Amino acid sequence: MTKATEYVIEVDKLTKRYGDLLAVDDVSFTVSKGEVFALLGPNGAGKTTTVEIIDTIRTPTSGKVILLGMDVTKNKHDIVHRIGVLPQGFSSFDRIRVRETLQYYSRLFCCRNTDIDGLIELVNLKDKAKEQYKNLSGGLKQRLGIAIALVNDPEVVFLDEPTTGLDPSARREVWEVLQGLKKKGKTVILTTHYMEEAELLADTVAIISNGKIIAMDSPGELIKNNTNYLVLTLQSGDDKVFEIVRKLGFGPVLNTQKDIRVRVEHTDDVLKILNALRDAGALYLGLDVRKPNLEEVFLKLTGEALLVGPFGVRGAA
Amino acid sequence: MNLRVVAANLLVKLMSVYREKTAMFFTLAFPIILILVFGTIFMSQDNVEYHLCVQDLDQTNLSAQSVKTLELDGKFKITKVDPALNAAQYVRDNKVNLVLVIPKGYERSILQRAMLSNPNASVTITYIYDPSSSSAPTKMQILDAVFAGINQKMSGSPPVIKSAEKSILTKKYRFIEFFIPGIIAMAVMTLSLFGTVNLNTELRQKGIIRKLSTTPITRTDWILSDILYQFILAVISTSAMLLVSYAVFDVSLHIDAWLLAFILLDVFAFVGIGMILTRFAREAQSAAAAANAISFPMMFLSGSFFPIELMPGFLQTIAKILPLYYINEGLRASMVFEDNMAALRCSAIIGVFAAVVFILGIITTKWEEGR
Repeated sequence: MTKATEYVIEVDKLTKRYGDLLAVDDVSFTVSKGEVFALLGPNGAGKTTTVEIIDTIRTPTSGKVILLGMDVTKNKHDIVHRIGVLPQGFSSFDRIRVRETLQYYSRLFCCRNTDIDGLIELVNLKDKAKEQYKNLSGGLKQRLGIAIALVNDPEVVFLDEPTTGLDPSARREVWEVLQGLKKKGKTVILTTHYMEEAELLADTVAIISNGKIIAMDSPGELIKNNTNYLVLTLQSGDDKVFEIVRKLGFGPVLNTQKDIRVRVEHTDDVLKILNALRDAGALYLGLDVRKPNLEEVFLKLTGEALLVGPFGVRGAA
Repeated sequence: MNLRVVAANLLVKLMSVYREKTAMFFTLAFPIILILVFGTIFMSQDNVEYHLCVQDLDQTNLSAQSVKTLELDGKFKITKVDPALNAAQYVRDNKVNLVLVIPKGYERSILQRAMLSNPNASVTITYIYDPSSSSAPTKMQILDAVFAGINQKMSGSPPVIKSAEKSILTKKYRFIEFFIPGIIAMAVMTLSLFGTVNLNTELRQKGIIRKLSTTPITRTDWILSDILYQFILAVISTSAMLLVSYAVFDVSLHIDAWLLAFILLDVFAFVGIGMILTRFAREAQSAAAAANAISFPMMFLSGSFFPIELMPGFLQTIAKILPLYYINEGLRASMVFEDNMAALRCSAIIGVFAAVVFILGIITTKWEEGR
């Protein structure tokens, strides 16, 4: 087996520049067959540009991308037959029905044997097969987009922010579809700024910030290697709780108005905090102690929160 | 080029437009409204009748007979003005633009001349008119011609110079029949140019073009399907225009393969221009503004609405470099004059133009998104 076929994707020193803006800065990584690879980062980090260069939508300024053994800048025509893409902000023809849309894309690929019914079932759109695109909700549109990305039975599937803008239940429905792809053994490249999404679905996560990959590993290894603490969450604590925890010297302390999150080294620290709160008569509704997640990894590596929640972030150290 | 891909694209576009019935209705309705409005105006111009006020101060048999002659000529509908009134005041008070005043002594002077009792006898009729009116000079010209005819007859000798009309056409055509080919050319241009610009900017803004760039569709497939789609719409639109023209105005036009050929060339040329515009004006609003900037001058300069001979010389030169001029001329050559050589010459010119624009359209169409 040659080196080119060991990996489905090989990205080597990829750079993309728009005038003075360096969108992708010397990025290198590889993706193996059957792997779910997630690019995790905030908006504007360079995730989409990286993926759009790999899936042939954009051209790189410098660097090399080998996809399925072919140079993406020279073999676009051969590559597009073997990949499926859900671009960011996917949209389709308003007045074309779900089934017709899948038939249309299947014809573009000249596929005579596309299992349209199977795809509709895979993305759970059986009841909506005769619905026009414009009448679908955001989640249903994304699920149709995923089905379209699969019409040519691709070897590699690119999903650029498949759940952005969806409500939690619609997001969960899309995750179920993506887990189905994983079970089918498809190689999936996923971009997201939702850490739960990357943690739940990805075999490998590359954290990207300001156009650079700053860490890359499995979600478990990323957490293990970058955190040696526990996270204590005090639910619905008042301002007194926040002050006491801060005075005890624990950090970073995140206060999202609803919850106060504290880094602790071991369980003795938890007892120390709880005793101090009890002595001061501070009020909180509940608590939990857990291992850190990718959001904390991102916070540690970049010094900024990955997502600003609905209540904002205060006191990040 | 992949015909299956072209057919798939064409089908999706046709289904979309078929399901958007309001847009379809107005697309077809616009040229039909133009034909109905201009057709009605031109039909009435063919049988135009002016309103003429006459004040007969002579009140004799001969003066009454002259007024009758003017009425029977068919050009005027006569209103008699009371001889006791001041004619100039009458023009002002009644908002009329001209009163013909037959003076006292009209009959006497004419009889003196006719019986040669006074060979120098003459009479002056007066036009009292409002110079701000645009139709008053036309009325005066017609009246001058009528009176010149009467003078000539009274002189008793046959005219030295006679005139005869001989049309280059075997049939007598009305202006509406010259007008309809121009409207067809203009409507197909508008349909193709705006259809392409609107569709492509919408698809680009919605990100559908970006999705399509990850499929095997090529720029040639894309533009060809657009041309076929616009051609089908243009044929439907032209059929509707012709049906209305035949049904309402009973036009007589020659319809053969040239009509289809010119519609296709019209579509090719303006879909190509639309593709180029979409490349350089990426936002829907700026693309539509650019399409307007191209189509409006073309509409008025290339002879769709009126003959270019009415324009100043330098504008006539400009008209002859506009593609729509050759489509107008070609369609008139085939539908009105039945002149195959002229149609062939026009089709060759517009064919070369369409081919160049089509190739430029393919070259400038880009799937890759800028930033």
